[in-house]
Amino acid sequence: MSEIYDIGYRHYDGPRLGRGYATRALALHSLRGIFGLGRPARSKIMPFSLAAIMLVPAIVNIALMALLRRSEIPYSGYAVIMQAVVAIFLASQAPTAVAPDLRHRVLPLYLSRPVAINEYVGAKVAAMTASVFLLIALPLTLMYVGELVVDLPGPPATGEYAGSMTMALVLALLLSAFGLALASFTPRRGLGVASVITVYLLSFAAVPVVYGTLASTGNESEASWAWLMNPFWLVDSVQSWVFGTPPHSIEGDYPNGPASAAILVVLICAGLAALALRYRKAAAR
Amino acid sequence: MHILATEGLTKRFPTVTAVDQLSVTVGPGVTGLVGANGAGKSTLIKILLGLLPPSGGTARVLDLDVTAQGAEIRRLVGYMPEHECLPPDVSATELIVHLAQMSGLPRTAARERAADVLRHVGLAEERYRPVGGYSTGMKQRVKLAQALVHDPKLIFLDEPTNGLDPRGRDEMLTLIRRIGTEFGISVLVTSHLLGELERICDHVIVIDAGRLLRSSTIGEFTQATQTVTVEVDEGLDALTARLASDGQTVSPQGRMLVVKVLGPETYDAIRDAAVDLDLCLIRLEQGRHRIEDVFREENASV
Repeated sequence: MSEIYDIGYRHYDGPRLGRGYATRALALHSLRGIFGLGRPARSKIMPFSLAAIMLVPAIVNIALMALLRRSEIPYSGYAVIMQAVVAIFLASQAPTAVAPDLRHRVLPLYLSRPVAINEYVGAKVAAMTASVFLLIALPLTLMYVGELVVDLPGPPATGEYAGSMTMALVLALLLSAFGLALASFTPRRGLGVASVITVYLLSFAAVPVVYGTLASTGNESEASWAWLMNPFWLVDSVQSWVFGTPPHSIEGDYPNGPASAAILVVLICAGLAALALRYRKAAAR
Repeated sequence: MHILATEGLTKRFPTVTAVDQLSVTVGPGVTGLVGANGAGKSTLIKILLGLLPPSGGTARVLDLDVTAQGAEIRRLVGYMPEHECLPPDVSATELIVHLAQMSGLPRTAARERAADVLRHVGLAEERYRPVGGYSTGMKQRVKLAQALVHDPKLIFLDEPTNGLDPRGRDEMLTLIRRIGTEFGISVLVTSHLLGELERICDHVIVIDAGRLLRSSTIGEFTQATQTVTVEVDEGLDALTARLASDGQTVSPQGRMLVVKVLGPETYDAIRDAAVDLDLCLIRLEQGRHRIEDVFREENASV
């Protein structure tokens, strides 16, 4: 028979680390939460099945590379082709990153600790960005490893792969800033999911409508601006300008590259500012 | 040494003054902060945590200024909010480990401290289950655990017995008393129930509408009054007659006898009477003022 003895209260006199450590711990905790790690099994279904779906085209492409000796899916176009899956991931997981803390009023537990509200928001954005980046970067990397193993004729497309990885990070930041801002304005998880997916569908559906209208009236150059209404094509247009990759729009070219880059930067800043304002208000409560 | 001290502390909101010219000092031990709902207790705690800037006056916690050194204060104090504040889909262990890290504890230390502190608040196997399925009593324990996990010097407990049944309330109060004595952590605990604080506090601060009504040690609140309650096994009537004939003022109350204390000779008279009548004396207890009475008097005089 063993018995548990009450050894009484022990004080802690070990190290107490700073706010940087706490912010990193929060980012890691949030990232785990986004993928449902440390949560019940049902929280893992959505993120992991979407991540698996993201890998399917990469695996098919590796098979094609092995059999036909050529690549069918370019690295630079992967995010645009798979944009619906990425958008569903954002819509389903952005609310898990921010909504519970707002809805269940967990925020005071964080704010009564050394971290400030900006560090809290920064950690959440970092976690969401990392998760979306992982979602896109994993199949890209798998495909690149596949290309090296299969050893296609000609040099490997290392430059295009690196460019796509960079743009995946930028895209992840843009999507996260907006996804988290929308989710934080609608703290009920279901509403958050609905609002993110609605905004994405609007941005997706608006493109052909605006493009078609302008193109049919003969305004070809104005019509190309329509692509910038969707985050995936907006980032692709910047990629096309910076890395010289072919445009992955459905038809036609992108407008002016620097203008796209400027719009991208403004949108990321706007999303982050909206988040900061939302949390300044939540913190004052 | 003062754990916290305020000087002319004022907090005005657009429509209401929540804290009004409050000057008070608190020493180590368990201190009760008493006031009706809306008396300014929660606002005061937020100011002391450095989360709300005061409109006027100064406040120092652990000798740190609340406006300039808020982050430093929050490293050394723990806070248990009044409202529900737990995410439902994580386990207590996962949550407490995470919050310990948020207070700056390295991961291994955070794990050890979380296990320790969950044991101290009395959460056993259920700590691995999601918090969403917990009873109110268990949730209160988790809330207390997160306030203690980083071994603070001082903890603020905002209405810790809210929503608990009588047994849970008793256990929570015993635990708070232990934190203040055995654990050596100073406690500032708010309540609108005075009887609770009487049991666990060394010092009580009464505020009303943001103003200080009274601040004094528990002894002064519950000063002994001039009565003593006597309970005997049988022979109550004989004792009553004997004490009355000795010149004591006696009034029977059910199976007990309340005797007015005239001086030390009253106790002698009761002892002698019990011995002479060969009675079995069960209880001899000093009558006490309850803090409620004091609060009622203070309110009446305001």
